Amino acid sequence: MTESHTIEKTTCYHCGDDCLTDAYIIDDKHFCCHGCKSVYEILSAGKLCNYYVFNDHPGATRARIDKRFDYLSDPAIISELIDFTDQQITIVTFYIPHIHCSSCLWLLEKLNTINPAIHYCRVDFLKKQLNIRFDHQKLSLQQLVELLYDIGYEPLISLQDIIKKQNEPTNDNLVLKIAVAGFCFGNVMLLSFPEYFGLSAYEQTFKHFFGWLNILFALPVVFYSGWGYFVSAWQNLRNKVLNIDFPLALGIAVLFGRTVLEIVTHSGAGFADTLCGLVFFLLVGKFVQKKTYHHISFERDYRSFFPVAVHVVNDGVEKPIPLSQLHTGHRMVIRYNEIIPADAILLKGEALIDFSFVTGEAIPVSKTLGEIIYAGGRQTGEAIEMEVVKPVSQSYLTQLWNNEAFTRKQDNRMQTFNEKVSKYFTIVLLTIAFASLIFWLPTDFKRGLAAFTAVLIVACPCALALSTPFTMSAALSIFDRNLFYLKNVKVVEQLAAINTIVMDKTGTITTGDSDKVKIGAELTAIQRQLIYSACINSIHPLCRMICQYLGNMAKLSTSIYTEIPGKGIIALIDGHRLRVGSGELIWGLPETGIGTTRVHLMIDKQYLGYFSFKHHYRDGMENVAALKTTYPLFLLSGDQDHEQYELTRFFKNTADMHFNQSPQDKLDFIRSLQDQGKKVMMIGDGLNDSGALKQSDLGIAVTDNVNNFSPGSDAILDGRSFHQLPAFLRFSKDTVTIIHLSFLISLTYNLIGLTYAVTGKLSPLIAAILMPVSTVTIISFTSLATHFMAKQRKLI
Amino acid sequence: MSIIYFLIGCSVMLALAFLIAFFWAQRSGQNDDLYTPSIRILIDDEDEITPEK
Amino acid sequence: MQPENFYYDNKIVRNFGIATVIWGIIGMTVGLIVAIQLYHPGMNMGNQYTTYGRIRPLHTNAVIFAFVGNAIFMGVYYSLQRLLKARMFSDVLSKIHFWVWQLIIVSAVITLPLGLTTSHEYAELEWPIDIAITLIWVVFGINMFGTIFKRRERHLYVAIWFYIATFVTIAVLHIVNSFELPVSAWKSYYVYAGVQDALVQWWYGHNAVAFFLTTPYLGMMYYFLPKMANRPIYSYKLSILHFWALIFIYIWAGPHHLLYTTLPGWAQSLGVAFSVMLIAPSWGGMINGLLTLRGAWDKVRDDVVLKFMVVGLTAYGMATFEGPMLSLKQVNGIAHFSDWIIAHVHVGALGWNGFLTFAILYWLIPRIYKTELFSKKLASFHFWIGTLGILFYAIPMYWAGFTQSLMLKEFTPEGMLKYPNFLETTLQILPMHMMRSAGGAMYLLGVIVMAYNLAKTMLKGSLVANEAAQAMPLAPVHTIAKEAAWHRRLERRPIQLMIAALLVILIGTFVELMPTLTISSNIPTIASVKPYTPLELQGRDLYIREGCSNCHSQTVRPFRSETERYGEYSKAGEFVYDHPFLWGSKRTGPDLAREGGKYGDAWHYNHLMDPRLMSPGSIMPNYDWLLSQTLDTSLTAGKINAMRKLGVPYALGYEKIANHDLDMQAKKISDDLAKDHIKVKSNKEVIAIIAYLQRLGTDIKANKTATNN
Repeated sequence: MTESHTIEKTTCYHCGDDCLTDAYIIDDKHFCCHGCKSVYEILSAGKLCNYYVFNDHPGATRARIDKRFDYLSDPAIISELIDFTDQQITIVTFYIPHIHCSSCLWLLEKLNTINPAIHYCRVDFLKKQLNIRFDHQKLSLQQLVELLYDIGYEPLISLQDIIKKQNEPTNDNLVLKIAVAGFCFGNVMLLSFPEYFGLSAYEQTFKHFFGWLNILFALPVVFYSGWGYFVSAWQNLRNKVLNIDFPLALGIAVLFGRTVLEIVTHSGAGFADTLCGLVFFLLVGKFVQKKTYHHISFERDYRSFFPVAVHVVNDGVEKPIPLSQLHTGHRMVIRYNEIIPADAILLKGEALIDFSFVTGEAIPVSKTLGEIIYAGGRQTGEAIEMEVVKPVSQSYLTQLWNNEAFTRKQDNRMQTFNEKVSKYFTIVLLTIAFASLIFWLPTDFKRGLAAFTAVLIVACPCALALSTPFTMSAALSIFDRNLFYLKNVKVVEQLAAINTIVMDKTGTITTGDSDKVKIGAELTAIQRQLIYSACINSIHPLCRMICQYLGNMAKLSTSIYTEIPGKGIIALIDGHRLRVGSGELIWGLPETGIGTTRVHLMIDKQYLGYFSFKHHYRDGMENVAALKTTYPLFLLSGDQDHEQYELTRFFKNTADMHFNQSPQDKLDFIRSLQDQGKKVMMIGDGLNDSGALKQSDLGIAVTDNVNNFSPGSDAILDGRSFHQLPAFLRFSKDTVTIIHLSFLISLTYNLIGLTYAVTGKLSPLIAAILMPVSTVTIISFTSLATHFMAKQRKLI
Repeated sequence: MSIIYFLIGCSVMLALAFLIAFFWAQRSGQNDDLYTPSIRILIDDEDEITPEK
Repeated sequence: MQPENFYYDNKIVRNFGIATVIWGIIGMTVGLIVAIQLYHPGMNMGNQYTTYGRIRPLHTNAVIFAFVGNAIFMGVYYSLQRLLKARMFSDVLSKIHFWVWQLIIVSAVITLPLGLTTSHEYAELEWPIDIAITLIWVVFGINMFGTIFKRRERHLYVAIWFYIATFVTIAVLHIVNSFELPVSAWKSYYVYAGVQDALVQWWYGHNAVAFFLTTPYLGMMYYFLPKMANRPIYSYKLSILHFWALIFIYIWAGPHHLLYTTLPGWAQSLGVAFSVMLIAPSWGGMINGLLTLRGAWDKVRDDVVLKFMVVGLTAYGMATFEGPMLSLKQVNGIAHFSDWIIAHVHVGALGWNGFLTFAILYWLIPRIYKTELFSKKLASFHFWIGTLGILFYAIPMYWAGFTQSLMLKEFTPEGMLKYPNFLETTLQILPMHMMRSAGGAMYLLGVIVMAYNLAKTMLKGSLVANEAAQAMPLAPVHTIAKEAAWHRRLERRPIQLMIAALLVILIGTFVELMPTLTISSNIPTIASVKPYTPLELQGRDLYIREGCSNCHSQTVRPFRSETERYGEYSKAGEFVYDHPFLWGSKRTGPDLAREGGKYGDAWHYNHLMDPRLMSPGSIMPNYDWLLSQTLDTSLTAGKINAMRKLGVPYALGYEKIANHDLDMQAKKISDDLAKDHIKVKSNKEVIAIIAYLQRLGTDIKANKTATNN
C-alpha cells in the first residue's frame, strides 16, 4: 500500500489539498476540484491573483459546487440578517469561518473590484467577520452571498445569528473608566510625591495648591471610574448579600471623605493617590478577567446548525420559507448536503442520512420510504421530499432545549472562592473597625474616628479582589495556549471542583471524521485503477476516502455508472463490471455482527475483499482513561455497543459504559449522578450531548476545528490536546491553591496595615506605599506562580 | 519656584488633551479591532509584492 | 461606487531624504571637529567662528534638528500618506515646510558660529528663528491634520498617534521654552531666571529628547519595521498600550537633569521617580519591535536593513534603561557633568536615531525609485563600520567618564584633594577622547558610503514622483446605524482635537503665566546678592556668546569634593538675576561658580589670550580676539531696561548712566592690568569678561546670611 503513496502528489494551487485527479488544470496550475478552479478563474478575471502571492494556498477547498441561497431573497430573512438599510444602501455583517490569512483580508476588502455595487468592506480578523456596505438596487443580498461563495468565502448564516442580533451585549465603557483612573492616578502621584519628598517651610503654598488639585483629580475617579462599586455594593445589600464590592466601596468612600476633610482643614495631605491607585488597579483587574474569544461561541445550540430557511413544495411550486414558519404537514424538499430541520416522514427519494453531528456516526444510514427521519440528519444522497410531523422546536433533537437544564439561570452552579471568603472578610473588617472606634471613643473622639477610617482604608481588600482575576486570566492564557478554551475565569474553579467524569464516545474519544482505511484484499495495479475510476465519480465520503487511499491515478473510461444510495456503485469500466459497496449490494443480504463498516469489492463476479473503515481512539486516550483511578469515569454512547469489547480497557467495568443513549438519556444520567451529590464533568461533541453538557457542572465540548460545530458548553477542547486533559485537571487544582496563597499574602498586608490603623496613626505615606506594594506583590506572585505550575504540568 | 505652577499647569493640560484624544478614539471605535490593522498595513497594491516565505 | 484614484507624493519624501543625508554628513563632520578640538586645541583654527564653544551647539542643532528632523519628516510624509490612503493635505504646504525648514537650519549654521545664541541647550537659536520654527511647525501641523482629515482609512494606525503626540508636545515645549524678551534683532533674555529658568530648560530639554528623538521614531518603527520584515507587529495591543503609558508619564522626568542643584529636593526626587517609571513604557516599544522579528532571524541574517533595525532597537533599549539608572541620585552624582553622559546620549543618537534613519533610507529610496539598492555590499559595510563606530565611541567615553569623576572625587589620606588641579584629570582622559574621535570618524565614514550608495541607487532608477494608488472613500455619515451619532464628528475630530488641545494649553499657559512673570517667588533670596553691573552684564553676554557654558558649569554641588575644590555649594538665591541661568551640563573645564577673586585680572587676561601660558597642557582654545575687539556698548541701556522688565531691580533711569558706570569699572580693570605691564584699552571685550569672571560667586562670600522673604 505504501507505493501507492509514492505516486507524486500535486497539491491544489487554491486550497493546498492533494489533487486526486489531473482533471482540473489551467495556467499550468493544478486544482483539486472544479470549485477551486472556478474560484481561481474568477480571481484571475478580476486581476486579483495577488491573492495567491501573499500566502500559499490561501483558499478553502470547494468540493461542493451547488448554491442554495435563494432563501436570502425572502424579505423576512433579509430584514433579520442585515445591520442597516435605507432606500439604496444596505450594511450586513457576515461570519466567515475561512478568514485566516492576509490574503483573505486583501481579497475581501477588494470585493469592489469584482462588483462595483459593493461600496465598502471591512474585515475583523479575530472575529472572522466581514462588514459589507453595498447598493441593494444593483446587488441583492443573495447575489452578494453567492459572490462570496464563488470566491470561496461562504458566510456561515444560521438561525442563531438572527437570534443573536437582538441580544448583543452592551459594554460598560470599562476602558474609559480605566483611562480616567489611570490619568488621574498619574497626575495625583505627581502632586502627592512632593509631600512625601518633603516640602520645605517656604513651599507650603504648593502643598495647598497640590492638595486642591488632588481633590479635583479624585472626583472623576470616585464618581465616574469607581461608581460601579457603590452601585453593586448597594444592590447586593438590598439582596442581603455581602460581596467583596461592599468593603471596596466602603474603602473608596472613606478614602475620599478623609482626603477632602484633611485637605480642606489643612490637617493633612489626604489619601488621593491611594484612592486613585486603588480604583485604577481594581478596574484593571476587572479588565483582565474579561477574556473573550471572538472566534469561538460557547452558546451554540441546534439553531446555529439548522438552515435559516427550508424549501417547501406547495401544490407543485417550490419556495423557501423561514424555519420559524415551518409547520407540521409541510412538504419540504431536502437536497444533497442539507440538514433536516424537523422530524419528518420520507415521502419521495432515496434518503441517505449522515447523522454525524447528531451522533458522531460518520457512516451515512439509508432510510426507506415512510420511515420517520429525525431532525439533525444531513442528506447525502439525491434530493428527497418529506412531510413534517413535528415542528422544529418539538423535534426529537431540539426538544432537548425545552428541558429546564437550558432555561435554568447560568453561573450560580458553584460559588467561587472569592464569593465565599469575602462575606466573612467584610464582617471581620467591620468588627475591627467598630472595635477600634469604640476603643478610642471615650478617650479621644478624633483619634477614634481616625482609627475607624484608617482600618477601612488599609483593610480595603484590593489585593484580595485582584488575586482571583489575575491568577485566573494567567491560567486561562495557559489553557488557551494548549488549545483548551474556557468560557470564563469561573470555569477554572469549576474544573478544579469536579469529581466525576462522563464521556461521550463517537467524536469525543474516537475521531469521528478521520477514519482509518484498511484493505482486506490483494489488488493488482489495474484493479486498483478500476476501483479508483469507479469511486472518483462519487461524492460519497467512503468513495472519496478510497480515492484518497489509492492516491492519484489516471481515470479509465467509464461506460456505465450507477450509484445506489446507501448500497454502493455498479459500473462498467473498460470492459470490467464492478460492484463496490455494502454486503447487501454484493450478496443481496446485509452483513451483521462486525464492529466496523466495510465496502466490499467485486470485479467481474469475482469477490476480491473489502475496504474496512475503522474508528480509532484519540491519541492519549490512555492518559485520559488513567483518570479512572482518581475520578469515577463513565461512558455514554449514542450508538451500538459493538465496540464495547475494545472499550473495556479504558473503563473500570462494563457497568460504567452505557450504549444506545438518547440525548435525553444522557441528560438524565448526568442528573442522576448529580443527585448523588457528584460534581460531574461531561465531555461530549455532538448535538446529542448538548443536554448532558448543559446539565453537567462543567461541560466540555471536544472538536477538531473550533470554528466549526461545537455544542453549547463551558469549555471547548481542541481534539489535538485531548490527551492533556489530566494535566488540565491537575493544573486547575494548582490554580485554586495559588488563589488561596495569594489571599493569605494579601491578608498579611492587611494585618500590617491594621497594626498602624487601629492606633489611629496611619500616615498617607504608609497607605500610599502599602496599597501599590501589596497589589504588585499579588499580581507578580499570581502570574509567576501560575507559570511555574504550568511548567510543572508541562503545559508550557 | 512659582514656575512649578506653570509647568504643572502645562503638563496637566497636555495630559488632559491626550485624555480627550483617548476618549475620542475609544468612542469612535478606533480601538474596537486591535489586530486587523497590523496586518492591513502590510498590504499595499504595489505591482510586485514579495511573497512571505 | 467607484474607488477613488489618487497619488502618493514621493517627491517631498525624496527631498527630505536627501536633506537628511546632507545635513547628517555636515552635522557629524562638525561633531568630529569638536571631538578633535577636545584634545587638539589647534583644531579651533585660531578664529572665533570655529571655536568649540560656538560650533558645539552647531553640532547638536545640526544632528538633532537637521539630520533627525529631516529624517522624521521623511518618515512621516512617507508613512502618513500610505497609512491614511491619502496624498498629503497640500503640496504647497509640503514645499513650504521643506524649504523653510532648510532655511531655518541654514540660519542656524550662520548665527551659531557668529555667537548669536540664547545658551539654552538644544534651544540656542535666537528669537527670530524661534518664531520661524513655531510658524513652520504650525504648517507641518496643518498639513498632517489636514491629511488625517481627508483620509480614506478609518483607523488611525498607532504610528499616527505617535506623530500626533510629537506634534502637539513639541509645539508646547518649544513655546514654553522660548519666552524671551528681545533686546535687539539678535539678542534676547529669557523671562525666567536662575533655578526657574533651569527647570524650564530641562523640562524642555528632556521632553525634547522624548518627543523629538523618541516618539516620532517609535512611530516610524511601528510602520517601517513590519513593512521591512513583512510581518505584523508582535502585539498591536501592546503598541497602543505603551503609547498611552508613555504619553502620560514622560512629561515629568525632566528634573533629573538638575540633581544636586539648587532645585528643591522634592522636585529633584519627582524627576527621579518618574524617570524610573519610564522604563516600563520605553521597553514596551523595544520588546514589541524585537519580538516582531522572532522566528525571522534568518531574514535578519541576510537583510542589512533589518540588521540596522535590530541594533537600533537594542541601542534604544540600552539607552532607555541607562537613563533611569542615571537619574538615580547616587549614580548621577558620579555621571553628571562627565563624559558618561556623552556616551549615554550617543548610544541613543548614533544607535537608535542614526541606525533607524539609515534603515529607513535604505528601504525607502529604492522603493520610490522603483529599483534595487545599488550595492548591498556597501550597505553591509556601512552597517559594520557604523556598529564598530558606536562601540569605539561609547566605550572610551564611559571609561573617560568614570576615570575623571572618580579622580575629581578622590581624597588623600590627609583629607586633601588627590588631584587639586582639574587639568590633571583632563589630561588623563585625552587618549580616550582620541579613541572616541576615531569611533566618530568610522561612523561618519559609514554615512558617507551610504550617501554614495543611495546616490548611485537614485541614478540607477527613476523617481516615481507621484505613485498611483486606489482606495474607497470613507463611508458617508448616515449609513452606519450604530456609529451614526459619532460619525460626523469622527471625520472632523482630529482638527477639533488639535485646536482644542492647543487652546486648552494656551489658556492654561496664561492662567499660570502671571505668577511666573513676577520674581517675587518663594525662593529664599540673599540680601547680599546684587544685580550685575553694566560691565559685568556685558561680560556675561560675551560669556554666553563664546559658549563658555558648554565646558564650564556654574553650580557647585553639595559634595565635599566640590566644596573643597570650588568653594561653598550654590544657593538658589544666588541666581535670581541670572537671565538665563548658566549652570551648564558638562564640565570639560572646572566649575566657575566661585571663580571671582581666585586669580588676578592679569591671570585671566593672559589665560584668555593663550590658556597654555597659565596652565600648560590646557585644551581650552585661545580667545585672543577678545583682546582686540572693542566692546559694543550701544545696547547697554536696552539690556538694563529689559532686565528691569524681568524684575531685576535696576533703579529707574539707571540705563542713562549705565554706560558711564561701565566705563568707570572698565577703567579700573585696565589700570589694574597696567600694573602688571599689560597695556590694554578699557573698551576691549576682554575687560568686560574679566569683570564678569571676577564677580562670579563673590556676593555670597561678602555675606553668607540667607534670609527668607
